[in-house]
Amino acid sequence: MKRERPQSFNTVPIKERLTIPRQDMPEQDALQRSTNFLEVNLGLNPEQAVIEAQRCIECKNPTCMDGCPVNIKIPDFIQLICNEDFLGAADKIKEDNSLPAVCGRVCPQETQCEEVCVVGKRFEAVAIGRLERFVADYAMIHGNGSTKVFDKPEPSGQKVAIVGSGPAGLAVASDLIKEGHEITVFEALHEFGGVLVYGIPEFRLPKAILREEVANLEAMGVKFVKNFIVGRTMTIQELMADEGFDAVFLGLGAGLPRFMNIPGENLNGVYSANEFLTRSNLMRGYEFPEWDTPLYRAKHAIIVGGGNTAMDAVRTAKRLGADEASIVYRRSEEEMPARNEEIHHAKEEGVAFLNLVNPIKFIGDEQGNVIAAECLRMELGEPDGSGRRRPIPMKGSEFTMKVDMVVIAVGNGSNPLIAQTTPEIETNKWGNIVADEDGKTSMEGVYAGGDIVSGGATVILAMGAGRKSAAAISEYLKSKVGSVV
Amino acid sequence: MSFKEQVSSMNMEAIVEMCIDQEQQAIDLYTMARDQAKDKSARQKFQELIDMETEHKVALKDFELERYLELPPADLKVTDYLMAPNTRENMTTQQILILAAKREGKTARMYQELADLFVQDKKLNTFFQMMADEELRHKHDLETEYENEFLQEG
Repeated sequence: MKRERPQSFNTVPIKERLTIPRQDMPEQDALQRSTNFLEVNLGLNPEQAVIEAQRCIECKNPTCMDGCPVNIKIPDFIQLICNEDFLGAADKIKEDNSLPAVCGRVCPQETQCEEVCVVGKRFEAVAIGRLERFVADYAMIHGNGSTKVFDKPEPSGQKVAIVGSGPAGLAVASDLIKEGHEITVFEALHEFGGVLVYGIPEFRLPKAILREEVANLEAMGVKFVKNFIVGRTMTIQELMADEGFDAVFLGLGAGLPRFMNIPGENLNGVYSANEFLTRSNLMRGYEFPEWDTPLYRAKHAIIVGGGNTAMDAVRTAKRLGADEASIVYRRSEEEMPARNEEIHHAKEEGVAFLNLVNPIKFIGDEQGNVIAAECLRMELGEPDGSGRRRPIPMKGSEFTMKVDMVVIAVGNGSNPLIAQTTPEIETNKWGNIVADEDGKTSMEGVYAGGDIVSGGATVILAMGAGRKSAAAISEYLKSKVGSVV
Repeated sequence: MSFKEQVSSMNMEAIVEMCIDQEQQAIDLYTMARDQAKDKSARQKFQELIDMETEHKVALKDFELERYLELPPADLKVTDYLMAPNTRENMTTQQILILAAKREGKTARMYQELADLFVQDKKLNTFFQMMADEELRHKHDLETEYENEFLQEG
């Protein structure tokens, strides 16, 4: 179906638009920020936002929306920014994305909407992510909660349980509450947000932002229950049979840390990235001494891995006071899966990068504390299945480096709890829940989406999966009503 | 007595018997692990490994020279520095892959030594070289699977 073009409010002639430079987002000074946990990026100001929005050339066939996993109406909200209708722009985004302030901060726009931006083919792409963040923040300060008054629909009388309050679960909650269903989100931890709260540090995603987004959903009528472990506190079967939930969505994420299986990983001072970041983020270790969470302040920290989690961990270690905080990565920087922005920020903050190096053993002292890492140098071979050049160990290249903390950030697996307690739900050999493209699992009325199905991915992909599941759950609930005689 | 000395004192029949025994040990190990595994997917993975080793046993018995002709892939050495897990009832897929890749690597080295030992006998040299290559191929496949799932550094 052909999409209607939004009303244009851009007064800058097309040719001139291409001469406008992409607006830089102000950020905290690198030296200063490497000692605090305040947000690094400070956001565009209104003038910058309008200028950036004016760079959009209003393509007849915009491709940016296709690059967004939740299909935000990007051309529409950009035009509203040109008209300085920032609250209207926020509402427009909220039609498709319940967490714009989060996505504006943590989405890898450079590989999604901005990658396919037509302006970006010859010039720098329109900074869609920065604009999204700007209007979401503006709405939080100047708007009325979720900005647009939410028209509560007639109650459907049907109940949906959402397991996990991460991005997938919140997306499902946002879509289904608008249809009049009774929505309850069950969270195992004591704060809502899943990986957004335990995994992403304050300096990248302030917790106040997330709390505001959750509060918006609460204001819309979503019930949130914390400290409730589905599979332990209550099983899925009990939720459906005893508590009367008509459908369940499983958005548990991939929270099971993976280790390397090398000698010495059990030494004191060797953490999984999950544990290290959870202690710092969720348990507020970064707010010492106000919060006295045990968290080792290392002098020589190494973080093994090259993804965004590794960058979050190394930058956290640096801020906690490490003299040396280094990334140890077995491939080269070119193959790193972390966002370029995160790598750039880490370097600015003094993080060292030991690329083409892989630890093969951690060495401890008599008390069982890690004191050194034995590493091997690697060289790049032919591309592997991921298309990245494969690292091959270099014989005889072993060397030892002094460390007093190691964080393993090589990826996460799925939590096995649901699979263990609900045999009706099929899982694959990696422990991920098997679901079709609408999130339907092998158990009647149970849907799943996000990292628990796909394995570790991005926030917005989890939200996209959540929205697909929400649509499928909606149809399922309608069919249940239809089948009642 | 070194492996080379041990093999030098054996006739061909005994060498093949030794190799079959080696494959049978792998089958027994994976069968035990499959029967102990609680997880359905772990049982499936062990069954795949049993089928693979059974095929090797048949090849050895029939002394089939034409069975494996593809060139061997590179040894990725991904699991060479990892700790070998013990078999137990709730092994994870990660542990299964490490266990199997290490075992395939060890068997590949045995066949390679046999191929090197019979360098003068073209037929035997070719046969053992192909068996070594085949084991290395399996190690490569297992390590690729390991790398794709457990070393994505995301």
